[in-house]
Amino acid sequence: MLAVETRNLTKDYDIKKDGKRAHLRAVDGLDLAIEKSEIYCLLGPNGSGKTTTTRLLAGILRPSVGGARILGLDVVEDASQVRSIVGLLTETPALYERLTVRQNLTFIANLYDVPKEEIKPRIEELINLFDLPEKIDLPAGSLSKGMRQKVAIARSMIHDPPVIFLDEPTASLAPESAKVVRDQILKLSKLEKRTFFLCTHNLFEAERLSTRVGIINHGKLISEGTPTQLRDLKKDETTTVFRFAVWDDVIKNFFQERNYDVLDINPERKSISIFIREIEKETPTIIDELIKQNFPMFEVRHEYPTLERVYLELVMSENLPRNQEEEES
Amino acid sequence: MKWRRIWALVKKDLIEFTKSKYVLSAIIGIPLIFAVLIPLSGLLPITNINPADFEGDDTFPDFINNLFASTVDDWESLNMHAQTLIMISYLMFVMVLMLPIIIPAITASETIVGEKERKTMEAILASPITETEIVFAKITSSLIPSIFATFVAAGGYMIITDILIFPFIGQVLFPDFLSIIFILVFGPMISIVSVELMIMISTKVKSVRDSYQIGSLVVLPLIFLIVAGMISFFFNSIATLIGGIAGMVIIIVILFKLATNIFNREKAIIKMT
Repeated sequence: MLAVETRNLTKDYDIKKDGKRAHLRAVDGLDLAIEKSEIYCLLGPNGSGKTTTTRLLAGILRPSVGGARILGLDVVEDASQVRSIVGLLTETPALYERLTVRQNLTFIANLYDVPKEEIKPRIEELINLFDLPEKIDLPAGSLSKGMRQKVAIARSMIHDPPVIFLDEPTASLAPESAKVVRDQILKLSKLEKRTFFLCTHNLFEAERLSTRVGIINHGKLISEGTPTQLRDLKKDETTTVFRFAVWDDVIKNFFQERNYDVLDINPERKSISIFIREIEKETPTIIDELIKQNFPMFEVRHEYPTLERVYLELVMSENLPRNQEEEES
Repeated sequence: MKWRRIWALVKKDLIEFTKSKYVLSAIIGIPLIFAVLIPLSGLLPITNINPADFEGDDTFPDFINNLFASTVDDWESLNMHAQTLIMISYLMFVMVLMLPIIIPAITASETIVGEKERKTMEAILASPITETEIVFAKITSSLIPSIFATFVAAGGYMIITDILIFPFIGQVLFPDFLSIIFILVFGPMISIVSVELMIMISTKVKSVRDSYQIGSLVVLPLIFLIVAGMISFFFNSIATLIGGIAGMVIIIVILFKLATNIFNREKAIIKMT
């Protein structure tokens, strides 16, 4: 059984455009199949349909066309059950500021029917997990932005859900706190076989955490795969950097005379970047020649296209003119 | 309906009310004004007038006399000064009954539109709680402060009024059958209607300010309802009483159905963003 499965998942909103009623397609025929204990990252620009997708999967919104299942439960037919087995971190922490951290968590635990005797230990476990024990009896409004985010993440896990949707989980977190959250996600996924569905703009996070990444734009899934598979889409754009102990223009001439596609020359760093069509075949040959010429080379490395580069190219190529009103509501 | 979820939401709202200076000052301040200032400002000046100044050939119209004769013991034997004090006491009692309308306008706006404004509603909507449970809980949490405030204000009003007018009318006016019915039965019912209407408005608007503004319009027909109810109950027939209560119950049930139909998870989340 899949943790998350969507078929032609589509969501239209009614909007007013120039005083007339119109439809805005926020999610457009999304097909996803996410296995249990996967960490799936949905990447996309603002208004691309990420939040709407999360809300559809969490059973808050109803699809206009198509459908979705969470651990076999239909998000429309079994909406209430779906809501009880998923955890949702919303875009903003949105805690009750006048309530203490404990009151915030207890309230949500009661909404999810967490057995009464389990609420206290569960809160303590999560509070320790996110390093907030001294804040537990403080009003949520007195906490820093990052701490509120941690409480909101703890809130999304209070009922021990097997599937967790996190919308920008590390936004507003300090690097060390972001690392704690990332480590916990990895731990919960590996040890407790929980499924995570993350919406993020943070490509570094997506690359580090996810088992698979989906790129969404204008509500459509434009690419999907493991971070490596996505990077491999631009594999032919890998550059090779040679660094030398001492810089001499002879080095530059060496590459230019052999008609290598020189991308960058940096005498300050004593390096030269070139594009090699057949990396595996040509790189050893070049190294051999450089050694023979007694160039003081001390580093050779390949710079593979980053997920960021792949993402930007995919999204930019997709970006057709779009009205501002068509931003995701 | 799962009572645990409802109670969790009610409890949360009540804690929030107690920590909100604005709501708290309204729940405590307004009843104090109604309980103390209204009788003092309305009755005290009249108690200080010489009863002889009221004497003369004029009497109240028959309609008024009939109205009070059925409610107040020995109405005809009382002098004009005492009758005036009783009339004003009842008139101002109607003002106390505005509380079940006014307080929900504050609490219901705060609890639904406030949640939308602060975006805290999404966490509730993401949970397994049903729309009916949410509406029921919001009605209850808005109702409790309203009933509390009405009881406190009415209690205070009755005590102060009795202290002020007893020397002139020679009897304890409040609590009488009419006031008990209004405070314990009719007041909470009016409060429920007011809460339900406010919740219906709150689900449609985006800001607390809009909710207050539209909500203030709701107050007017409810005031007519109170006055009409008061006048009809003055005639004190059991049939009127039962008919009135039954009518209110029907209104409450219809409005609850309407409120649960209007409060829609999807619309709530879309309006929030």
